[in-house]
Amino acid sequence: MKSSFHAIASVAYKEFLHIYRDRRVLLLLLILPPLFTLLFGHAFETSEISDVPALLINRDNNARTQRFIDIVLQNKTFRWRQAPPEITNESDLLANQVQATLVIPQGWSDSLSAGNPKPLPLYLDGSDINTASAAEGGVQKSLADFQVKERDLIVENLPDEVIELGKKLPVQIRKQFVSLMEAWTAESKILYNPKSRFIDYVIPGIIGLILQLLTVTLMACTIARERESGTLYQLMVTSLKRGEIVIGKILPYLGVSIVLIAVITLVAGFHFHVQFYQPPALILICLLFLLCSLGLGLLISAFSKTQTQAIQFSVFFLLPVFVLSGAFAPLEQLPQVIQYLSEVFPLTHFCRAFRLVNMYHASAVFYAVDLIVLFAGALVTFIGAAFLLRRIEE
Amino acid sequence: MNEPVIVLDKLSKRFGDVQAVREVSLTIAAGTIFGFLGANGAGKTTTIRMLCGLTHPTGGTATIAGHSVWQERQLVRAKFGYVAQRFSLYPDLTVEENFRFFGGACRVPVTQLEQRIANLLRLADLEEKRDTPAGSLSGGMRQLLALGCALVHDPPLLFLDEPTSGLDPVHRQHIWNLLYDLSHGGKTIFVTTHYMDEAERCTEVGFIESGRLLAKAPPRNLKATFRTKLLEIDVDPVMPALVRLRNFPGILGVSLRSGALRIYVPDPERLISTWQTNWPFPDLKLLGKRWVEPDMEDVFTAYSQRYDALLTSPAT
Repeated sequence: MKSSFHAIASVAYKEFLHIYRDRRVLLLLLILPPLFTLLFGHAFETSEISDVPALLINRDNNARTQRFIDIVLQNKTFRWRQAPPEITNESDLLANQVQATLVIPQGWSDSLSAGNPKPLPLYLDGSDINTASAAEGGVQKSLADFQVKERDLIVENLPDEVIELGKKLPVQIRKQFVSLMEAWTAESKILYNPKSRFIDYVIPGIIGLILQLLTVTLMACTIARERESGTLYQLMVTSLKRGEIVIGKILPYLGVSIVLIAVITLVAGFHFHVQFYQPPALILICLLFLLCSLGLGLLISAFSKTQTQAIQFSVFFLLPVFVLSGAFAPLEQLPQVIQYLSEVFPLTHFCRAFRLVNMYHASAVFYAVDLIVLFAGALVTFIGAAFLLRRIEE
Repeated sequence: MNEPVIVLDKLSKRFGDVQAVREVSLTIAAGTIFGFLGANGAGKTTTIRMLCGLTHPTGGTATIAGHSVWQERQLVRAKFGYVAQRFSLYPDLTVEENFRFFGGACRVPVTQLEQRIANLLRLADLEEKRDTPAGSLSGGMRQLLALGCALVHDPPLLFLDEPTSGLDPVHRQHIWNLLYDLSHGGKTIFVTTHYMDEAERCTEVGFIESGRLLAKAPPRNLKATFRTKLLEIDVDPVMPALVRLRNFPGILGVSLRSGALRIYVPDPERLISTWQTNWPFPDLKLLGKRWVEPDMEDVFTAYSQRYDALLTSPAT
């Protein structure tokens, strides 16, 4: 056992020297994690959409539409530019360099008075789904505000006879009328992420993204590099056992990854004030995820003949993972079939378990399945890699 | 004869449709420097890789010190060192770090490792290059380092796959001097080469061609299997003579050596007496003739080109 320990230490030290001597990789390892954390953290800081460039055309200029325009100009969702009523290309958003155009058609005011309100034409840039729906909501809100103001104006100007008449109504009916005149509201209490900070949601995504990006690709190159340079045969004629090679190769990358996680959490904690709940549980989740990623890299490495192939395989694997693992957006938005597919990716389980602990403060029962999946993933990839290495030998 | 260390019995290897090694049987005794000669693609590297347990035989068996090279490869690996054909050490590690890694990987006890590394640095004459990355060494030094790494666990047997290919004569000599020292120290050495002059330095030589072992004997015995006297002639100009004589009826082959032509022919005495009276090429001048001792290249050519008429059956 002592000689096995020494053999593993030799492999691990050699592998560490490879990382340490490759200045480009070292630089990547030192700079990427804090940079990505800052970048992603700030990029997703505000999820509220504001200052959408928009065009306002008023073809029904009178006191009432002016009251509406006063309200809509206050709306922070838009950065309005007013266009003269005679322009005709209101639907050409691209030429007008806006993402929305709102038209007040001729006779709108009259249609409101006539009890047959015309709808306002609203052109939206659908290429960006979020902006389109935010813009639509913004216009609806301004319209609602306008409607309330107009109602109040009418009520204030009602002749006294009508008020007297109203007083003859039964109290119950009158109260119902009063109630109906007010907008009904829900009192929402936001749980789990009370300040609605996106950074708190996305932090496991950032950790997972960086770790997978670096560990999978670097690990994938290790055996492929030995194969490419012929050192794998030299390695195999030593009395090293396959398990010793695998463990020796994993150890330095495990160490590097742990440092990376520490750097990311420090940046997240000090710069973005992210709170970490139950560190031991989070550490366990990270560790299992790491083993799973390293195993995956090793697996890719074992069936790639060259480093180029290893990188290609890694990218093929990592691309769908980043989109479909729920790292940056809730999985529930995806179609059911793709949700099943995403259960295959370790990152999905990592993000879910991490959020369950850090945001929901959930007990282990809720994320036990994710831990088991990660553990199984690590086991399967390691055994698979050892098996593939055996095939190389033959 | 010493006890056999390596025993091959009908060892064969097939890659798909290609039969790389065909039923090679041979025995190598302890202390031998065995030179395995053959052209590129003759099956040298495949044989050596089977012996190192890097690829499994598709037929026959091979043993090292009585242990199967495939079934018991984990056990056998402690008994030999291997220098691959391609430089296959870690270029980003220094000379000392390479030694240290292979020492650890070959389970050299920690207490002995320092002494072992110091000895190897001296042996390979790399003491001054101790902290140089292996990738920055010259070709000759890389090969010395590779040899040192193969010796780190002090194995009784050493496999070298074309250790001197591409090296300058000085480093070739250095490597061979090292091999003599190792052989003198009792190690068995199995070396492949396609340099014929290196074959002369071995205590035993095996010829391999298209995966078949053609002959195996000490160099002197191999030369003795050359049945006829070897004719060498001087002709002016030499190149047209070489081209025309190659296709001359009765001549098996011609080789150019130091400006003279060696003629491989079953009955050279009759040929030269005919030529001295009736030289068939009026535009070329026959300047002289002499009888020479066949060297290793002549013998190898005769075996590999199947000039059976020139050879007695080899004394294996």
